[in-house]
Amino acid sequence: MTNAWRAVGITYIQYSNIAARVLREALRTELRADAAKRNDSHVKFTPWANGKPAPRQTQSES
Amino acid sequence: MMMQRSMLLLPLAVEATMHAQQQRGMATLQSISIRLKSVKNIQKITQSMKMVSAAKYARAERDLKAARPYGIGAQQFFEKTEIQVDEKAEPKKLLIAMTSDRGLCGAVHTGVARHIRNELAKDDVNTKIFCVGDKSRSILARLYGKNILMVANEVGRLPPTFLDASRIAHEVLQTGYEYSEGQIVYNKFNSVVSYSLSQLPIYSGATVEKSEKLAVFDSLDADVIQSYLEFSLASLIFYTMKEGACSEQSSRMTAMDNASKNAGEMIEKLTLIFNRTRQAVITRELIEIISGASALE
Repeated sequence: MTNAWRAVGITYIQYSNIAARVLREALRTELRADAAKRNDSHVKFTPWANGKPAPRQTQSES
Repeated sequence: MMMQRSMLLLPLAVEATMHAQQQRGMATLQSISIRLKSVKNIQKITQSMKMVSAAKYARAERDLKAARPYGIGAQQFFEKTEIQVDEKAEPKKLLIAMTSDRGLCGAVHTGVARHIRNELAKDDVNTKIFCVGDKSRSILARLYGKNILMVANEVGRLPPTFLDASRIAHEVLQTGYEYSEGQIVYNKFNSVVSYSLSQLPIYSGATVEKSEKLAVFDSLDADVIQSYLEFSLASLIFYTMKEGACSEQSSRMTAMDNASKNAGEMIEKLTLIFNRTRQAVITRELIEIISGASALE
């Protein structure tokens, strides 16, 4: 059993987050404003190599 | 002869230093008032910081209650499957340090960093660190910079969301570092005044699949396990982020409260010194005037 999303190279986390975002956007307007706050994330990532921040090759979007 | 000279010199030298000290101790009225003002300002700042973190803490605690089931559920699976780490194979460890970007909150960050330092002291070749929050990075970068795999910052300004956690989990999985076991090091929130350093174990898919108890579960295949482990990592990270955020805010609250109290004590002492110096200045001026007047007579 291989899921279609797995075959595309999406992890379960990304898959469920996409599903969650779609669900939030489908909410009623009065509820959507509150749920939209859970839709964004500001965390930044910096890969490190040999004790120094290293540039990232590709910026991945979750 | 020399002895006598030096014995004579000694009291003179002592007197000189004492005189200098007294001069330094007797600060001028203006410098004391400047100092007093700055301490008062600091107290105002710490007090308002305490207010802010109290409000943030109330929210963090409410959020934590909602987030607890995520962590407990994910932990139960690891407990029930009784995962045994392969002792023969070289263990590749991953440590996730749950801190935040912001300081002035007591020992929350240093506690996490200290635990990781101890772990690294045991084995710093096969252990990598994933730093969540700038604080753990700045503490660990000097000694164990080579072990840092990735740093996630901009953590702690806003309350953590599940999307934050899942993005971190995604990065953990995407680093290309094949860990066999790992630990999330975080601060577990107990009450407003106490938190304790805790660790949660995490395992890779290969390690989980070797577990014998896995046969108890129905319809499990590699795909389900992989999906579940990805999700459970995200849940655990979410849970520990919430625990960490809550302990951080409560700790900042107490730290700022203590700072305000200390500033209050300092203000009391400084006011006393200020008033005494003011009196001394007035008295001296009076003496000068009176003695001047009596000299004219």
